[in-house]
Amino acid sequence: MGLFQGRKHFSGTVARKRLSILLTAERLDCAPRNMQMMKNDLTMALGRYLSVEEDRISIRIDYSPAVMTIRIPLHNSEDKHVKII
Amino acid sequence: MSEVIVVTSGKGGVGKTTTTANMGIGLAGLGKKVAMVDTDIGLRNLDVVLGLENRIVYNLVDVIESRCRLKQALIRDKRQKDLYLLPSAQTRDKSAVTPEQMCKLCEELKTQFDYVILDCPAGIEQGFQNAVAGADRAVVVTTPEVSSIRDADRIIGLLEARDLRNISLIINRIRPDMVKRGEMMSVEDVEEILAVPLLGVIPDDEYVVVATNQGEPVSGSRSPAGTAYENISRRVTGEEVPLMEITGKKHFFRRIFKK
Repeated sequence: MGLFQGRKHFSGTVARKRLSILLTAERLDCAPRNMQMMKNDLTMALGRYLSVEEDRISIRIDYSPAVMTIRIPLHNSEDKHVKII
Repeated sequence: MSEVIVVTSGKGGVGKTTTTANMGIGLAGLGKKVAMVDTDIGLRNLDVVLGLENRIVYNLVDVIESRCRLKQALIRDKRQKDLYLLPSAQTRDKSAVTPEQMCKLCEELKTQFDYVILDCPAGIEQGFQNAVAGADRAVVVTTPEVSSIRDADRIIGLLEARDLRNISLIINRIRPDMVKRGEMMSVEDVEEILAVPLLGVIPDDEYVVVATNQGEPVSGSRSPAGTAYENISRRVTGEEVPLMEITGKKHFFRRIFKK
């Protein structure tokens, strides 16, 4: 077990995450760097109207039909009784 | 009601040829008439996996260029009476065959066989284009590793782009001990990433090497991989077979069969 002490991530999990990001970008025919820029643009645009949790934005692309789904968690603000759908 | 199935992957060495051979053997074992076609022009492999390397007289290119009739080139399997192989040529000229010619060949094979299984070469160039031209459905083979999954994804995209949408997935060389330790992606991980229906899962099994060394079938043996291949063949015919429970230790694995 000595080899694995102090490791925070299992390589299987790392692989899965890398692939998710890479394949999403490749399916969009869009470099990972552009994906990041797209995320930044979206965050900025939405940020003008809503408070978003930037680090937890996730993007998924399905093939048939070709649909991109972007999940944008919003900052919860209790005092405004905002319902997040 | 015949079906042409192309076995493809993108990445080389993930188990297309072994899968083609053993799917053919499994289907023939279920009483179907099966033709397996090696479409890798120049790098012949299906024959040696089946132990039929000494029986080749004519090959795919001979048939396409009308140097012989299809019947003369088809080699009957040693063990199964309704299982035939159409071997590839050893020529280096990959432009010897066109997609249109492959379509025509598949049509002719469909008149004689219940299932035509095409062993697709690795890559996405001419060989791949030829192999998918005449196919009704595709079986994509991958291993639970980043490079093969990435290539499999690309292949799936290419198949869908040319309207071949009956696509299913085989995950080969799963090592349950590594999955348990978190050092290998699980079946669920791969399924989720590639998002096509799962046809089967084959555990990493030494017996595959042993069988191939001797030109013997894996399907039909009592090894874990053999059972996995049998189940895959049954699913190809439309039967519902639950996924094998694959544990790390051979003597603890349970087989679940549909009654």
